Amino acid sequence: MLEILIYGAVSSAIYAMLAVGFTLIFGVARILNLAHGAFYALGAYAAYAFTSLLHWPLFIAAPLAVLLVALFGVLMERFLVRPLRYSQLAVLMITLSVSLAVEQGLFITFGSEYRNVPSFVADKISIGGVDIGGQRLLTLIAGVLVLLLLWLFIQRTRLGAAILAVSQDPEAAQYMGIPTNRIFSVVMAISAGTAALAGVLVSPFLTVQPTMGLLPMVKAFAIVIVGGLGSIPGSILAALLLGYSETIVAYLISSSWTELVSLVAVVITLMIKPSGLLGRRAAF
Amino acid sequence: MKQLSIVDLSGAVVVVALLALTPVLLNSNYFTGVLTVCVIYAIWAASWDFMSGLTGRENFGHSLFIGAGAYTAGFLATVWYANPWYSLPTAVVVAIAFSLIVGFPTLRLRGPYFALAMLSASAIMQRLCLIFWEYSGGEEGLYGLDPLIQSPLHYYWFVLAILVAAVAILTALAQSHWGLLLRAIRGDEATCQAAGINVTFYKIASLTISAAFAGLGGALYAHYQLQVSPPLFSVVVSITVIIMVYVGGIGSIYGPALGAIMLTLLTELLRTFGEYRLWVYTLTLMLILFLLPNGLIAPLWRRLTERFR
Repeated sequence: MLEILIYGAVSSAIYAMLAVGFTLIFGVARILNLAHGAFYALGAYAAYAFTSLLHWPLFIAAPLAVLLVALFGVLMERFLVRPLRYSQLAVLMITLSVSLAVEQGLFITFGSEYRNVPSFVADKISIGGVDIGGQRLLTLIAGVLVLLLLWLFIQRTRLGAAILAVSQDPEAAQYMGIPTNRIFSVVMAISAGTAALAGVLVSPFLTVQPTMGLLPMVKAFAIVIVGGLGSIPGSILAALLLGYSETIVAYLISSSWTELVSLVAVVITLMIKPSGLLGRRAAF
Repeated sequence: MKQLSIVDLSGAVVVVALLALTPVLLNSNYFTGVLTVCVIYAIWAASWDFMSGLTGRENFGHSLFIGAGAYTAGFLATVWYANPWYSLPTAVVVAIAFSLIVGFPTLRLRGPYFALAMLSASAIMQRLCLIFWEYSGGEEGLYGLDPLIQSPLHYYWFVLAILVAAVAILTALAQSHWGLLLRAIRGDEATCQAAGINVTFYKIASLTISAAFAGLGGALYAHYQLQVSPPLFSVVVSITVIIMVYVGGIGSIYGPALGAIMLTLLTELLRTFGEYRLWVYTLTLMLILFLLPNGLIAPLWRRLTERFR
């Protein structure tokens, strides 16, 4: 029972980190970023390259990986997405092609084999009789901290207020003197950075390979649909729901059925409440 | 609604004749095979264009229907040992069933839900193929399908005939009152609803038609490769089809079909690039997105034939 509680919390934290970035960039900039999974994979591969290949100390490697991916995201938004924002299809196409290009790039540079990244925390920690790898616990703590910081940033700072304003009405925000384009860049950096952080944190205990980004992105999308497109509290709630239901399904039935959980969740949400749990707008 | 002109018809006849005669002149089984794949991709691209090009609801998981059709053919051949000719109608039925299952919950909705739902549905189907490997053959997929027609050249002509029929049917539908409604939905869905058009019905019906042809193409592909495997469901297949449609000119049906043939031939020429092939593809797409937002083939054809109309 405690096992489910702890492992469910860990996967929820990973999903929440991914989904919050996905929903943030959609809510603020209306960009459906299909390259979000690529950011996650890039983060994991950067961690692999810096620690396993270059043997840099962790406290440099991890932040640098996150920063580099955030920069990549900002450049992508500025030079590839922004010129095509007139059409939603073009944005979907360009982000999808970036994601394919990244996947192929990783495949060409690192090959298709699974890569191992050394654990940041090697010890196992026992909580109430349940052994849990230190790395998973670190992921959980870091995930909660990041989400908390993000929430404080958006609710308490001027920049956060500007982000909220743009998400409510980009034109009105622009008239009030908020530089919307710069806000898009900031949000893209946050979004890519959190996805990369998730990738860095999970790299020691999940498989690192070029296509690793696709399924988490599909999950992030499922969470965002269930939580309500554009709503951050909604996606955190949905991440908890999905993370726990997957863990429960894995324990009670079989781990091969977990993939179905997100699909079923999406279908049920779309049929019963298409705007999602905490969606602000109705979807139709 | 514009009618088909003599110019368009004669253009079509010339292209089809060229396609039908090229393998006879080259007389190489390898090249006939390449052309067969070209034509199957053309069926997929044309079927994608009918739903997504006309209504503007982008389907990012066309591989769901392609894979469903191909796996239907695979199961029929390896589990039930059925006559291979049964697999074409069965694949169509299965693909239609899939389109209804996905279409009903998602096509009622506005915005990007449909694109994302299709993308995830195809990704999840690919995973399921690997998870239930006892039934689906896992990574290796299903082997030992029988060819529909023994001679590669005759099979190529058969597939080409299906492409011509598919493009003719889809173009006829697109030019009809029905097609006009679909275009109107792309223009302004709310206005269509206000005008008393059952928007959801038209969207789902057009997805069903699109899926039927995609599934048919999938079964044809399975009987060409004589095996099916999970990558048929992959996002790469969907995006390849979408790139072909983009190159051909979205919304014109014949453009995407020709775009598919052109790009598949190009891919064959790029075979020496090996791993870099998909990069070349992605780069092509980015260039087209920035330089030719209306595509290449259909706008070019319209420009060339302008003076004869």
